[in-house]
Amino acid sequence: MKLTENINNFFSTIGGLTNFTIRFFIEVFRPPYEISEIRKHMDELGVKTFSIVSITGFIIGLVIGMQTQPVLARFGAEMFLPGMIALSVIRELGPVLTALIFAGRVGSGIGAELGSMRVTEQIDAMEVSAVDPFRFLVVTRVVATTLMLPLLTIYVDFIAILGGYVAVIITQNMTFSYYIQLVLDAIRFSDIIPGVSKTFVFGFVVGIVGSYLGFNAKKGTEGVGKASTTSVVISSLLILLIDAVLVRLTLIIFPD
Amino acid sequence: MIKVENLYKRFGNHVVLNGVNFSVPEGTTTVVLGRSGIGKSVLLKCIVRLIEPDEGKIFINGIDVSELSIRELNELRKDIGFLFQSAALYDSMTVKENLEFPLIRHTELSEEEIDLRVKEMLRLVGLSEAIDKMPSELSGGMKKRIGLARSLILHPKIMLYDEPTTGLDPVTSKEIAKLIIQMQEKFKMTNIVVTHDMVVALSTADRILLLENGKFIFDGTPEELIKSEIEIAQKFLSTTLD
Repeated sequence: MKLTENINNFFSTIGGLTNFTIRFFIEVFRPPYEISEIRKHMDELGVKTFSIVSITGFIIGLVIGMQTQPVLARFGAEMFLPGMIALSVIRELGPVLTALIFAGRVGSGIGAELGSMRVTEQIDAMEVSAVDPFRFLVVTRVVATTLMLPLLTIYVDFIAILGGYVAVIITQNMTFSYYIQLVLDAIRFSDIIPGVSKTFVFGFVVGIVGSYLGFNAKKGTEGVGKASTTSVVISSLLILLIDAVLVRLTLIIFPD
Repeated sequence: MIKVENLYKRFGNHVVLNGVNFSVPEGTTTVVLGRSGIGKSVLLKCIVRLIEPDEGKIFINGIDVSELSIRELNELRKDIGFLFQSAALYDSMTVKENLEFPLIRHTELSEEEIDLRVKEMLRLVGLSEAIDKMPSELSGGMKKRIGLARSLILHPKIMLYDEPTTGLDPVTSKEIAKLIIQMQEKFKMTNIVVTHDMVVALSTADRILLLENGKFIFDGTPEELIKSEIEIAQKFLSTTLD
């Protein structure tokens, strides 16, 4: 009985999320556009995650640098360390780790906020006052997360490369300008574009999953908590799954 | 005028509304009285299509609500105020922003005119000083007053009250009942008040409907309810004497 219930829940969530996504794409292009609301959410989401991604980004760069340096030293290839750090961060670690932190911080927040609005009848109040809550609450948040995550990722990439420099100067005597020179020599256009592009998809996933679960929250405060935690779990899994698909796709589009 | 015909609603096996029929003449107040969890709020939410009924028709000013497209329904909703049980104030907005919200979206009023309308509504509900407060800084009674001000700010022709005094102390409940009467005198709306509070029911109603087991078991004036020998009606009346 429990297993059947779980399977039913799984498929109803998939179906519901698909319909919710289709509705988003129908509504997002329809005027009036709630620009000030989108700007407000972008500002809030950026401020909320700025400090945590700064610390994480710096540590990512530092740790990759410290882990990779001895391996490269064995082959006498330490000069490749700056390029190695930059490529690891820009192509994979920056986008995915920022997205996972974003899912934990922002996705759970959206789930909890909309869930709380649902159980306290605020969404009903909006609907009955002839304002479409989907447009006002969901579309604005999903647009904000979709636009904000790429910006945060680019910022994290920079911070991680700075963290990498700290790892380099622990073991090598290298000026910052030379480090940056080596980083720029290693990066190609085909490294930056896929890395940043996929964060639009990750940002969308975080926004739509959090919004879907919050918007459809039930059973009072218990439902709010469930919407918040489930949104982190589902969006994190989807981010990793989509990443695997996009990495393969990127290798097909940019084979070198 | 509001007219409800043969309304049915069930959740799973639980029948909440079992063929409800009633009408509310223009400019009058009808109170739907009943115990908690009996389906009063469901009935009110069916009228504005927050909940879709299983069967039955709802007419507002002769228009069948179930036949309306979302756009048409939203046009109709602009003429309907709804005070929620929890007041349902938008908790990320100040009181002022809560009241401005419908005005900005549904009127062509200038900023100054919106400001004046907001202040006027706050004065009417006696909470001018709360204009810059957040909902979390307000008491239960204050939230209900602000919720009422927001519901009335577009000057609706129909006002629906969902348990307007739930969770309030008897003194504040009486104040809210008085406020409902004052608003009716000022705006001359068609009201439905859903409540289990006899003080509110007797003081605001032109007519009272008593809901029990998904159907109305009493339909009459407050005076007729007082004289009624229906057991549940007597039980409700005894609560006012306690």
